Amino acid sequence: MAELLLEVGIALTAVALAGALANRVGLSVIPAYIVVGILVGPNPPSSVLGVSLNLVSDSEFIQVLAELGIVFLLFFLGLEFSVDQLLRDRGRISAAGGVDFAVNFGLGVVIGFAFGWTLLETLFLAGVVYISSSAVITKSLIEEGWIANDESGPILGTLVFEDILIAVYLAILAAVAGGGDLESAALSVGTAFLFLGGLTAVAWYGSGWLDRFFRTSSDELFILRIVGVTTLVAGAALALGVSEAVAAFFLGTGISQTAHVERIEHIVAPARDIFAAVFFFSIGLTTDVTLIAGVAALLAVAVVATTVGKFLSGTFSGRFYDLDRRRSLRVGLGLVPRGEFSLVIATLAAGIGTGRLATVLPAFTVGYVLVMSVLGSVLIQQADTITDALGAPSG
Amino acid sequence: MTVYETDVPGVGKKFEVEIDSSERLVVLLHHDGKREVFHKPDPDADAERLFTLSGKLAREVGAILQGAYFQPVETDEVEVPLGEAIIEWLDVSEDGELVGETLGEANLRQRTGVSVIAIQRGSDTVPNPGPEETVTAGDILVTLGTREELAEFEALVESDDS
Repeated sequence: MAELLLEVGIALTAVALAGALANRVGLSVIPAYIVVGILVGPNPPSSVLGVSLNLVSDSEFIQVLAELGIVFLLFFLGLEFSVDQLLRDRGRISAAGGVDFAVNFGLGVVIGFAFGWTLLETLFLAGVVYISSSAVITKSLIEEGWIANDESGPILGTLVFEDILIAVYLAILAAVAGGGDLESAALSVGTAFLFLGGLTAVAWYGSGWLDRFFRTSSDELFILRIVGVTTLVAGAALALGVSEAVAAFFLGTGISQTAHVERIEHIVAPARDIFAAVFFFSIGLTTDVTLIAGVAALLAVAVVATTVGKFLSGTFSGRFYDLDRRRSLRVGLGLVPRGEFSLVIATLAAGIGTGRLATVLPAFTVGYVLVMSVLGSVLIQQADTITDALGAPSG
Repeated sequence: MTVYETDVPGVGKKFEVEIDSSERLVVLLHHDGKREVFHKPDPDADAERLFTLSGKLAREVGAILQGAYFQPVETDEVEVPLGEAIIEWLDVSEDGELVGETLGEANLRQRTGVSVIAIQRGSDTVPNPGPEETVTAGDILVTLGTREELAEFEALVESDDS
């Protein structure tokens, strides 16, 4: 017990220090959490100047916290999913989101096949490189003040579209990957959709009941209820072979129809932040840096191709929103960061653990997210220099 | 005037307010109560951040903008708490019992426990008045004492029919 508690203490303190450092430098915290996980984890680098750096093992406790990180990231994604916004702006959002998907998911498929990956492996890879990071992007938008400009429309719209798509994508992929032959695959897809269908029905028709169920004047009872129900639903989903992340997403959309959203934002968000930080940290723990070196060629190709891909598709999306050239270019730059959802997909892949999904894809994803989250934030910070160079000076 | 409202997932709500044909204000409401206000001189310009307010400050500023913010000050009820004792400003009325007496004659400290720490006479202030100081109608006595003592004292300086 003492050893485990000490390990978890070291882990959480390391995460806190890494976050503080990243904040001071003005970079996203996600890569910082991963790097600190790599440093203090069991994989190399395992010592510095003769002092052992093998401080934290990938214990079951940390794995559970990390799992809760995934669950709550997706729960909040569902919670903040703005159905009204989507319906009000569906034309432009689906146009921008469609272009975004076609270009970037398409690129992922092309890269996967070019490197000789199987269909299932390629589909996972395409998901990893397709999905932008809501966390990194919204933070950058606020810091740069873009949030108040017109370019925020297509950027946020594209993110909303990606959110739905990722829920559907995870549901299908988890189900297909769970089954071996066609029959069991069909069975698990069926189970998944029955379960999610049930959740959706509760979400839509039971919002009044959900509203009453969570109603309490005590913050303590409130957070216990939310965390309890969310974890229970996610666990039940996983036991049935359905993606726990998707189940949490659907539960979140259900609760988003109630009056509790603001309160969850206030009271439950800190819990999500702790779990999510441990999730990024545990990704670092399980990462073998030497494996990343092995996928260097794939990494280089993916970084260049998908940076250009997002930049072009985003710039093109600006047209659906009648933006001028400079703002369209900003949309392109703004969508480059990749982060938390790519890691969620890689974790799901590692859980299936066949062929390249067990080793190559997780290592690739860590390297890819480290590069893309930092590169993406830097591109947004330097946007004015870039747009000036591309002949779209500020008016 | 048009107000556009947009949800910003993970952050909160954004309101865009047209001030006139070109100028716009953008208000970002964070989930944690923080408010950020941006200004756009014209639709094509980049927004610049004017200021950031905490939730509590934002409500006060909002009330000022509405013209609904005032904290009435009742001059005859101003009290500064000093533990058990409080400071009170008391008007001496024409027919108050003390009018014409010096503070020494009135022997206030023994009678009520209240001390007079200053007298405001028109635009003058007599700080630390001595026992020879005469109380005149219209004075404002700055007094120090507990609530009970002051209530007793008030009866001496204010008119009987109030």
